[in-house]
Amino acid sequence: MNLTRQAPRPCGCAARTTPESGYRPERVMATHLPSFRIEIGAELAALAPARTFVRESAASLGAARPVIDDLVQAVDEWVTNVIVHGYAGRPGSIEIELIPDGRDVLAVVRDRCPTFDPANAPPFDPRVPLEQRRPGGMGIHLMHELADSIEHRALPDGGNEVTIRRAVGTAAGGQR
Amino acid sequence: MNTTVDRVSPEVAVVGLEGELDASNFQDLVTVGQQLYADGARRLVLDLSALSYMASSGIVALHSLSLVFRGQPALDPESGWQAIHSLGADVSGGAVDAVRIVAPQTAVQRVLDRTGLSRMLPVFPDRDAAVAG
Repeated sequence: MNLTRQAPRPCGCAARTTPESGYRPERVMATHLPSFRIEIGAELAALAPARTFVRESAASLGAARPVIDDLVQAVDEWVTNVIVHGYAGRPGSIEIELIPDGRDVLAVVRDRCPTFDPANAPPFDPRVPLEQRRPGGMGIHLMHELADSIEHRALPDGGNEVTIRRAVGTAAGGQR
Repeated sequence: MNTTVDRVSPEVAVVGLEGELDASNFQDLVTVGQQLYADGARRLVLDLSALSYMASSGIVALHSLSLVFRGQPALDPESGWQAIHSLGADVSGGAVDAVRIVAPQTAVQRVLDRTGLSRMLPVFPDRDAAVAG
């Protein structure tokens, strides 16, 4: 398992000044929050370390506790799908990256599996009584509930990139 | 995840879960339930007070256990996700509240709510209430 902490990248933000002040505008270097990256094997035993990674990274990025819990679960549910249905017993690796983006945190999951867009998953209705339910189907439903948005992209060399977006400060994000 | 089993009577077993329930270990919980049912238990109390995380796989385990404790086969992932288990009114095998939940933590309660399980399995504040009720 590789854990990489990326160095903060400076941004160029122009400082605002008034001509009367006598100061010339200058570019101000502001340090962004870092991003975090991990690579895990496509094994169910890797789910717990992956959750720990998301939990600690999201906390470092200043996410509120309920947001951390939701991000951890959203990633866990998707990564479980990738392991069980994507790789389906074949060896492989899954990359998880946590990236700050303004007021949001992005959890980006990349795999090398056949294309699968979570938006195409069969729907799940939580009102259906247990005895009428088909097993499973809840993971992707939960992922959508827990995120502000989910985006999917097929990777050019094969595989999927799923981006789970969540605002860091909202306690009730995902409540719909 | 650590599991403790407390057979408080021939009919009632209390299973305590500590840690995290996910796709890697949910089948073990179902196996514990199946063994208890085979041994004569007819009420399963799941103490979740020490469970900090439940994945959707944990909900599958709860669903499976509720079938097991009604005398039905557990959900079989090998048969494919298209399998539908139906329970008619004429099925013998036990009370609808044969599986009871105790004191889920906030995050786990949210998962139970979002998947509809909190409306289907009774939730109690502590073990004694779940065993006695």
